[in-house]
Amino acid sequence: MADDREGTAVKKQKKFFISNTITLVMVLIAMFIFFSLASRHFLSTYNILSMVSNLSFMGIVAAVLTMVMISGEIDFSIGGNIGLTSVVAAILIEGGVPGILVVAICLVMGCAIGVFNGFLVTVVGVNSIIATVGTMSVWRGLAYTFSDGRSVLAIDPVIDFLGRGSVFNIPFPIILFVIVFAISYVVMNLSKWGRKIYSIGVNPMASFLSGINVKQVKFLAFVFCGLAAALGGLILTSLSMVGMPQHGQGLELTIISAILLGGTALGGGKGQILGTLTGILILSVLYNGLTMLDVYYYHVQIAQGAVLIAVVATYEVRQKRLQQ
Amino acid sequence: MANTKINATGWYQKVLRIFTRSKTPIASLILLYVLMIVIFASFSPHYLTVGNFRSIFNNLARFGILSAGITIVMIGGGFDLSIGSAMGLIGTICAVIMLQFPFVPVGVVMVIAALVGCFLGLINGVIITKIGINPIITTLGTLAIFRGVAFFWAHLNVRIYSRVWDAVGRTFIAGTIPLTTVYIVVIFVILALVLKFTRFGRNLYTIGGNEYLAKLAGIKVDRTKIASYVISGLFAGLAAIVLTSQLGSGRPEYGSGAELEVLTIVVLGGVTVGGGKGNFLGTFIALVIIGSISNGLVLLDVPIFLRMVVKGGLLVLAVSIDALRNRKRLQLY
Repeated sequence: MADDREGTAVKKQKKFFISNTITLVMVLIAMFIFFSLASRHFLSTYNILSMVSNLSFMGIVAAVLTMVMISGEIDFSIGGNIGLTSVVAAILIEGGVPGILVVAICLVMGCAIGVFNGFLVTVVGVNSIIATVGTMSVWRGLAYTFSDGRSVLAIDPVIDFLGRGSVFNIPFPIILFVIVFAISYVVMNLSKWGRKIYSIGVNPMASFLSGINVKQVKFLAFVFCGLAAALGGLILTSLSMVGMPQHGQGLELTIISAILLGGTALGGGKGQILGTLTGILILSVLYNGLTMLDVYYYHVQIAQGAVLIAVVATYEVRQKRLQQ
Repeated sequence: MANTKINATGWYQKVLRIFTRSKTPIASLILLYVLMIVIFASFSPHYLTVGNFRSIFNNLARFGILSAGITIVMIGGGFDLSIGSAMGLIGTICAVIMLQFPFVPVGVVMVIAALVGCFLGLINGVIITKIGINPIITTLGTLAIFRGVAFFWAHLNVRIYSRVWDAVGRTFIAGTIPLTTVYIVVIFVILALVLKFTRFGRNLYTIGGNEYLAKLAGIKVDRTKIASYVISGLFAGLAAIVLTSQLGSGRPEYGSGAELEVLTIVVLGGVTVGGGKGNFLGTFIALVIIGSISNGLVLLDVPIFLRMVVKGGLLVLAVSIDALRNRKRLQLY
């Protein structure tokens, strides 16, 4: 009997997630139709391609941050990480370091940042929200210090290719974006490690008792997150051709909104990589569409905040009904 | 019995006990503050002057008032990231009212600021308790919304020409004690008494300790939590008055990033993130420490960008110490 009840609960959860995803996709389609009718530039190939290139670096970070959030932690320092990566890359290029080496150094630095965050959260035991809000300001401050507040030109064939190159007429960042999403999907849905993350998010104590090294898994998730943010920073540097300490400012809000939109719970244990994909698409279409309609940048923020609260509110209300 | 146990150990262990075992970090904070004064005073001859302390305490005002509100919210187990944006929005509204409708008396504008603050807090509180969204998500959303709304008036050149308004944040009693310090002390004393002696205050601690049990014990959890967010909003309004008074204008970008600073103060002062712990004495000492550090970094001529690193590092250090201190047993997961 008990098994039966649990079985239906799981089925209900699954149904709930599927109907959520359908709702999200419908919202996406509705927004797409609205913006194509409202602005004649929205549906042009050029706009769509530039929109997807721009969302690619956010998507890469979002996919990996989803893993961290499903494990029940959060990383606010991604924006600062992107700024620091971008500045360091540009300064290295200015100093004449070859492009491949720059990419390698930046990725290693991203890992180091992830290691530091992971150390604070797992070994020292700090609440991840506060720890990463603090490190966010540290990375951003270091970016400002290294660059002295100016933006540094970053022109190098390898870096150029990363954001503005294309393979078979498909922009390279889009290819990277698809690859990262595919890997994250496989890891979260088919690998042992992914199942461990879900299990930790649902109940860390039970996971520990059943033999999962909780700290190690969380630590690794933070390292991957740092790595993804560094990759995102490199792509952003390439897209804008400069290393700027302001790069990625406020990006944590956008990316975390997208992940929450996609149905990932802040407490962990729930969420899907594909949900994050729809979330990031919705926010990008919203941004791009409102920009095409000539809405002032700061007012786009209002729409973003409102969408975040509205969507999470509908989740909560429906979840409550489900539990009754 | 307990006395003999303590007597058996040396005096230095007694002292150590004060720093490691006490429930609040106040002893460690005072030690930290004394150490800091010694360091800054030995590096800069201007540190230990009346003028400098005057400016330190006058600059505490806005963060002090904000941290009063967020202490209340966090003791109740909540979180409020939107205070910086709320402060910016309310400051802009005040400045715009004084610019467009100069006939409105200053007192009325201040009341409006307080009311708008309460209203913004009410929005947060209702969304968090009635709909049941996590406070971090909610206030992250309202942070963006409040800031975005403030930018509707970005095209105006909002200077404030009212003398009364200017006096609010720039008056010094007998030329030395800033009026703003008086506000902070009054606010902190009143709130500390409220926390200690009223039913609201005790309920808040209970809710922060265990919300479910509080509900079972018959406490009106939702109402108390909404009230805490309204208080936080109210203080955002009061902080906006002081801020715009000191800067002589109300721009929409004012107060961005304030939540980081205030969070550092409150956590350093011993308010835990989960709620149920903390008091106003701790917050006050932490406030003075953070203010003195900001001031000391300026006097030591630390580059402005490096100050950001130092402040972020301090927050990390503060929460690390907090985490290590509160760790009862070996954490396995």
